[in-house]
Formats: sequence, structure tokens, C-alpha cells
Amino acid sequence: MQYSILMLFFVLAALLVGIFLYVFLSSRQSNGQLTGMANALQKRFWFVLILFSILAIFASVTIPKSPYFLFSGEQPSKVVYVAARQFYYVMSYQAIDPASPTGESSIELNTNELVEFRVTSLDVNHGFAIYSPHNELIAQTQAMPGYVNRLRWKFSEPGLYTVYCLEYCGMAHQAMKTTITVK
Amino acid sequence: METTRFNKITSLWIITVLVLFVVAITLGIIMRLNQSELITVSPITFYTDMTVHGLTMIGIWFVAGMAAVNFIMERYVKTSHGVNVFAYVMTVVGVLLLWASTFFGRFHAGWTFLYPLPFKVMWKSWATPTFYFSLAVLGVGWLVWCLSLVSSLLKKYSLKEVFAWQHFSKNPKTETPPFVLIAMISLVGIITCLLAAVILLVLTFAEYYSKGSFVNDALLMKNLTYFFGHTIANEMLYLGLAILYELFSEISGRPKWKTTWYVALAWNFTLIFILTAFFHHLYMDFVQPEGFQIIGQIASYSASLPAAGVTVFSVIVAVYRTKINWSLANLLFFLGVTGWVIGGIGAVIDATISNNFILHNTLWVPAHFHTYNALGNVLFSLAFFQWFSAKYGGGSQRWSKVVLWLLLIGGIGFLTAFYIGGADSIPRRYSSYPEVFATAKTLAAFGALFATVYLSGVLVFFVNISKRCLKILLQRS
Repeated sequence: MQYSILMLFFVLAALLVGIFLYVFLSSRQSNGQLTGMANALQKRFWFVLILFSILAIFASVTIPKSPYFLFSGEQPSKVVYVAARQFYYVMSYQAIDPASPTGESSIELNTNELVEFRVTSLDVNHGFAIYSPHNELIAQTQAMPGYVNRLRWKFSEPGLYTVYCLEYCGMAHQAMKTTITVK
Repeated sequence: METTRFNKITSLWIITVLVLFVVAITLGIIMRLNQSELITVSPITFYTDMTVHGLTMIGIWFVAGMAAVNFIMERYVKTSHGVNVFAYVMTVVGVLLLWASTFFGRFHAGWTFLYPLPFKVMWKSWATPTFYFSLAVLGVGWLVWCLSLVSSLLKKYSLKEVFAWQHFSKNPKTETPPFVLIAMISLVGIITCLLAAVILLVLTFAEYYSKGSFVNDALLMKNLTYFFGHTIANEMLYLGLAILYELFSEISGRPKWKTTWYVALAWNFTLIFILTAFFHHLYMDFVQPEGFQIIGQIASYSASLPAAGVTVFSVIVAVYRTKINWSLANLLFFLGVTGWVIGGIGAVIDATISNNFILHNTLWVPAHFHTYNALGNVLFSLAFFQWFSAKYGGGSQRWSKVVLWLLLIGGIGFLTAFYIGGADSIPRRYSSYPEVFATAKTLAAFGALFATVYLSGVLVFFVNISKRCLKILLQRS
């Protein structure tokens, strides 16, 4: 998915570079002509209308795919409680007591079961980003003190998933991670 | 006499910005070299550098835009030289305090200093209040500066005129120059976000000095942080555009651009979009009301409409098949618009919630904002520096083509490494990378190499411009 986005970006960037280069060369080769508008700030409603239509289509297609609406009509078959703190995660199938947070030694989930991660933090803001066995970021939410973010996800592929902290949380931020096994 | 005083303070701003720019780029290169493991610094040093790099870059390009806007504004209204100098002194004091808290106090909570991280002291205990105090000094200097410029504008233009609302009627009796309109829109946005920063600082100090009896709400603090941080980073770009609207046609030897109802409408809407787009920084905080998240995406998309529909298209129309007196200054403007719009595409992609789900806080984020800064906004300010120093300092521009090519090749190279890193899901703000991120070190080395090429372009430019600015500074009044 990320590489499709990258390709889209590169294609659009190349198109823009082409347009700007063409416009620049047309100026260099103008031989003293003055065909550009005297006041460049004239209305061009049609251009904005086209751009607006493209963006409106993009928005209407992508907003329903936002993570807040993922599997919202279904009941999760498993809940995993996550408490993040500098610089590790506590994960449990039961609610975690902030006063003495304890968790499971390992978290095991099944493919195609709906899991709800209830993610919070016991100190500063952290990230909770799930990476596939191929090391591709597939889902994430933030861990914020005083709040619980609910992330619903169905794992389609078995394997060892790694969770990384993606919100800068201090000097050992780069070492903060844990794993989830999917069978 | 008055002109000379403004020339001198503007020269001082330019030299200061360029010196700090060289320092900040060097810190960035050290970070990429460390990530590539070609050099080794401790994680604390890395994150300290990261904090200074981010804040310095935001600060200098903001003041560069302000100094340029202040200089050009003198064409239309009388501004206060004393306030300009006051803002300069406060900026220098603020930067020195910031460096003390970071380089000596080892404060390293990042440029966003996201609450409550600064309270979890992993550095010298005095560094936290010193850091916040440095922000307060910078904020007061900048707020006074903005308010002073707004008051100067309002002495000449009515509220209706300064926002160009008279252009909505059929035959407006007066014309609001595009520069005045854009400067006003930007200043109002900046004042609003600085007021959010004041609230943020008051809440922070309240908790800090309450010794635990008062605790802030993390979600509110995050909203305030990004309302301030996102908006000021965005507004510095719009300050650059105000300069472009004024100078691009002038340097190119073309008729001056004039405000139409269409331009007035676009820029008035821009203010609304800018002030609501910051919500996209909180997409991954699922407890934030969903309405705000959707507003974030729609506002971020909408912000591109007036930008692309008016500014970018106008520049293209102004240049297409038209004889232009190309010089380093207007080439920098033209390239800056290209970089800005390409960075804008990267930003719109990331501002799409379903994309942000897999791109947030990966290298895609520094990729897009470095694009519209390093190859966009920075080039707008460099264009002003070039135009100003050549006009008032004299002398011919040497090495123009070399500067342009070094900035372009260096910029494209180090940005490409960021974009590919984002597509490879590599996290941002990691002092070193876990081994599983196979491409991370190579991309970091590649990024450092090309950032050095970009730096060498900046150095050549710096030598040329500083000579002229020093000449202006040393001129007798």
C-alpha cells in the first residue's frame, strides 16, 4: 500500500515538474512576446472547480475508510489492553491496574478474529504501531495518558508482528517495542 | 535616514538567519549520519540536536518571513523600527536561552515538546523552565511584532479594506494591494496561534509550579500544541507568499499584480482553512471527536484550493510564453513555487486519514514538510535576501547557477531518501534503527550526502549575501 502511495506521489511530482519546466522554457523562448496576462491574478473559476471536484471525490472515497469506522458494526471477539510507559508496553487480556500494571508474557491472537486494542499510557504520549512480519506498518494508534484509544483490527496472515513506538517519548524511544503472535 | 535604518535591521536579520540556518542544517546532517552509523553520537545528543534543529528551523524561517514582510510593508504604511529591533533582541535572547537549555541542560523533548514529556525530567532540572522561558521570550517578541504591524496596517486601511472585502462589490473604489491582504491574513493567523501558545505556556507553568496539585489534560494540551505549531509553520510559508506577490512581477519586469474579488475570496478562505487544518496532527488519537478529524481532512484538502487555484496558477500564467528578466531572485521564487506545490501533494496524501493510518510518524512526515520548506519557503526567503542585498548592497551575483544546482540536486536527493523511507515504514525520530529496517541506514547515508550538497549551495549563497549585507550594515546613516 505504501509503495502505491509513493508511486502516485512520484507520478504527480513528475507531472508538475514537467509543467513548470515547460512553462519556464516557453518563457525563455518567447523572443520578446508578452502573451502572459497583464494581471496574473484574474479569475479562473473552472480550474478551481476541477480541483475541487477531484478533491471532493478523493475525500468521499477515503473518509469512510478512516480507522475510526473499521469494523464498527461488529463485536470484537477479543480485547487486548495495552498500557505504554517509558520505554515498554504492558499487554493483557484483562484490564490493567495503573497502580501495579502487570501483563501477559506473550499475546497470541488468531487470524481473521476481530481484536480490539484498548491503548493508554501511564506516563507520556507513545505510539502503538503494528508492523507485519514483512516489517510493513499496517495499523496504529496513539497511547495518551488519561485516555483510551480503541483500535480494531483483523490479522489476515499468521506470523510474528512487532509493535513499535512511533511517538517520540524520550531518550530510549527507538528501543521501545513488543511483539504479538498471530496463529 | 528611515530607509537606511530599515535596511540595516533587515540586513542583520538576514545574516542572523543564514548563520543559524547553517548551524541547523549541520545538526540535521549529524542526525542523518548517526542514523546511517557513519558516526556515533549518544541518543541524548541525537535528540538534543533534533530538538534544536526543529525549533531553530521553524524560528528562523518565521522571522525571515516577518523581516521581509516588515521591509516591504514600509512601501505602504509606516512601521515601527523600534519594535523591529525589539523583536530581533528577543529572538536572539530566546535562541540563546533555548541553546542553553538544550546544549548545556540536555533538554530533549523535541520541538513539539508534547505534554507531559517535558515534565518527565531526563535532563538537568533547570533545563525545563529555561526551555519554556525561552519560548515565552520568543513568543512575546513575535507577538508584539505582529500586533505592531497589524496596528500599522489598520492606521491606513479600514478593516474592510485590509481584508479586501470591498472587492466583493462590482466596482470597488479602492484597491487593496495583494501584499497588504496576504500580510494581514497571515498576521491574524500568527497572532491567533501565538495566543494559543500563551494559553499553552500558562497551563504548563501552572502545573510546573503547582507541585502536583494541578494536572493538565493531555488531549487539550496536544490540540493547543499543534494549533500553535502547525499554524506557525504554515504561516511562515504564507509570509513568503506575500513577498512573492509583491516582488515576482517587479523583478520579472512585468506589471504589478492587482487584487480581484477572486483573490480576496481565496485568501479570506485561506485564513479559515489554516486555522482548522491542524486537526490532522491528531488523526491517530481516536478519542478526539470524529467531527474534528473529518474537519481536519476537509480543511487540509481545502487549503490547497486557493493556494493552487490562485497562487500557483497565477505564477504559471504570468510566466507562460512571456519574456521575463530571469535572475537568481525570480528563479528562486519560481523553483520555490514548484517545491511548495510538490510538498503540498505529499501533505495532502498524508492529510488523508486512511493514508495517515500507515504513514503517520514515519519518514513520510519529514519528507513532505522538508519539501515545502527546503525547496519551497526557504527559496522564497532566499529570493528576498538576494533581491534586497543586490538592490541595496550592490555588486554582481556570482555563482548563481552553481547555487541553484547545488540546492536543487542536494534538495531532491535528501528528500527522495525521506520519501522512500516513508514508503518503507521507517519511523521518524529514531536515533538509530533496528536491524529489521533493511534500507534505513543506506537511506540515511544517502540523505546526509545530499543534504551536504544542499548545505554547500547555502554556504556559497551565504558568502555572497553576507558580504553585501555587511556592507549595508556598515554604511553611514
